[in-house]
Amino acid sequence: MNGYGGSILRINLSTGKIAKSSTSPKLAEDFIGGRGFGAYFLFTEVPARADPLGPDNKLIISSGPISGLMIPGAGKCDFTTKSPLTGGYASSSLGGMFSAEMKYAGIDSIILEGVSPNPVYLYIDNDKIELRDASEYWGKGCISVEQSMKAKFGEEFQIAVIGPGGENLVSYACINHDFGREAGRGGVGTVMGAKRIKAIALRGSKRIPVADLEAYRQAGKALFKACKDSDGLKPWQTYGTTIVTSWCDEVGALPTRNFSAGSFEGGSKIYGQAMRDEIVITDKGCFGCPSPCGKYSHMRRYNTRVEGPEYETIGMLGSNLGISEIQDVAQANLLCDDLGIDTISTGGCISWAIECYQKGILSKEDTGGLELSFGDAQMVFEIIDQIAHRKALGALLADGSKQASKKIGKGSERYAIQVKGMEQSAYATHNATAMLLAYMTCDVGAHHNRSWAITYDLQVGRELVVPEKVARIIWLQDFRPMFDVLGACRLQWVELGIDRDLYVPALEAITGIHRTWKDLEEVGARIWNLNRLFWFREIDGFGREWDLPAERFYTEPPTTGVTAGQITKLEDVHKLLDMYYEQRGWDINGKPTPETLAKLSLTSIMN
Amino acid sequence: MKISIKTIGLLKEYHPGEHDLTIAPGVSVQQVISTLNIPTQLVAMVLVNNSQQTKSYILMDGDQVQLIAVQGGG
Repeated sequence: MNGYGGSILRINLSTGKIAKSSTSPKLAEDFIGGRGFGAYFLFTEVPARADPLGPDNKLIISSGPISGLMIPGAGKCDFTTKSPLTGGYASSSLGGMFSAEMKYAGIDSIILEGVSPNPVYLYIDNDKIELRDASEYWGKGCISVEQSMKAKFGEEFQIAVIGPGGENLVSYACINHDFGREAGRGGVGTVMGAKRIKAIALRGSKRIPVADLEAYRQAGKALFKACKDSDGLKPWQTYGTTIVTSWCDEVGALPTRNFSAGSFEGGSKIYGQAMRDEIVITDKGCFGCPSPCGKYSHMRRYNTRVEGPEYETIGMLGSNLGISEIQDVAQANLLCDDLGIDTISTGGCISWAIECYQKGILSKEDTGGLELSFGDAQMVFEIIDQIAHRKALGALLADGSKQASKKIGKGSERYAIQVKGMEQSAYATHNATAMLLAYMTCDVGAHHNRSWAITYDLQVGRELVVPEKVARIIWLQDFRPMFDVLGACRLQWVELGIDRDLYVPALEAITGIHRTWKDLEEVGARIWNLNRLFWFREIDGFGREWDLPAERFYTEPPTTGVTAGQITKLEDVHKLLDMYYEQRGWDINGKPTPETLAKLSLTSIMN
Repeated sequence: MKISIKTIGLLKEYHPGEHDLTIAPGVSVQQVISTLNIPTQLVAMVLVNNSQQTKSYILMDGDQVQLIAVQGGG
């Protein structure tokens, strides 16, 4: 099948059975690949109400039809599972080289099932596929395990690995790859840990069939040329995602001290330029990337190195914790990476704890004797280690801020900045209604990458609650995640501003199937609605209440910064949801109607 | 004195292209942005001679200024 590795690999960790089947053309037609395959397998194969950490849950790892080919950023890999953090749908995207190598091994999806009795790792060298004993690696950090495996098997092997955070079932453990790339959100690494699979080491050397080789070459060239010719290339490559840090501070979107404000008085020392001047050694890109956003940094104060920090980490482990030294932020980044826990949720959980402690909700008894205050980097380093090992205060924080606040009570719930149980990523949304709606309705919880609208809020008026904003968010949700379906990075479109229509001939030349962006957005809507059904299926009482933002954004205006005194009213929050549900074709509780499901060809899956 | 100014991304909708501009000494990037009727808050990054500067940066003769908006946000 043109554009595909051609097989689905199933690993049953309970029995050790390894099986391959051909990738279904019908599946490729309806869901295309990547995140689409993940959503389909999750909904159709994981039984309702399965324990996220039990044998019935599955971890589905998928490349897309563009992955591994000479298309800009064609190295994206999707990890889908039932989330141990939220109890709902989780999908997390990984950059690097892993997805390309999967395709070269002839694999479109790896489906991990069951639970291994002992720690193992999965070894794939084309058709030689084995589960091997991982006892020598268990308990070790992600970076050292990747180094050891590369030394043992060869540099060309691509490694995806979990750290102690995943082994200890921290609910927001991530999967690491390429010494600093992560499938970070929703606890995909937790599920790997629950299945006792430490790592996947993978190499392939097969060809990927392409429908029209010459047209593919021409379309690929046109895409690379558009990237190279982009005015935005030079600044993007210089600063990567940190390009936005100073601006977020300026417009009140930089999360500060547990999102109590959107501007940080110590911000200038964690801006992109400060980072570039102080710690960055070189740029680092993923497979086929013409615009590497990764920055490799050296922290002289600690004599350590890390890939990063990128913007989200700067926001969540920097300003949101009151930390204003870039070397401290980068060191916290390194600890999270090596221990295998998501920097965003980690930052959100620690900021929740600090605020609760300052307000007298948490005592020294709760913190294991630790004095919690914003701006204390050493304290943050200690808590990160505690979280990964589920000890002391870390035991409370390891299940996420929503669960921690449920345990503590005493009004601590209002300081958990999360939606659906996932900590909000690093955009403060005080009086930024489009971005607030983006977080409220994101299909995994409060994450920014499905739809991002801070600039749009500023363009049209940040306080406006109008149908156009809702339509914009829905369009972005249907469109942007399609890059995770295709197996390519969206940042060339997002940040370099290249024409998205350039992907259309490329996809057609590769797969032999003509699809316009309108066709692709319809697939995007199909996946979005299927994921929504998954939430309803898995959680009793799921609906509108689960789409509400953190209480702070409609009850407590910041007292400092450019958004001082500004919030969105609760009635406007509900108005946003009313309009969103109506435009999506959902009922007043946010459930897709039978008509909507029929329109998206989802009725048969439901049955 | 003379500077060059270039808009990138979304900002082209407000002030397209790249051109020279004659300004008085002591003028900041912010003042130039206002003069060109570009919404200040949409300017995510200011590069002067390829180095990031704040909007309060006082321009000097021959400076090459790039104004960048962020459309997608990661």
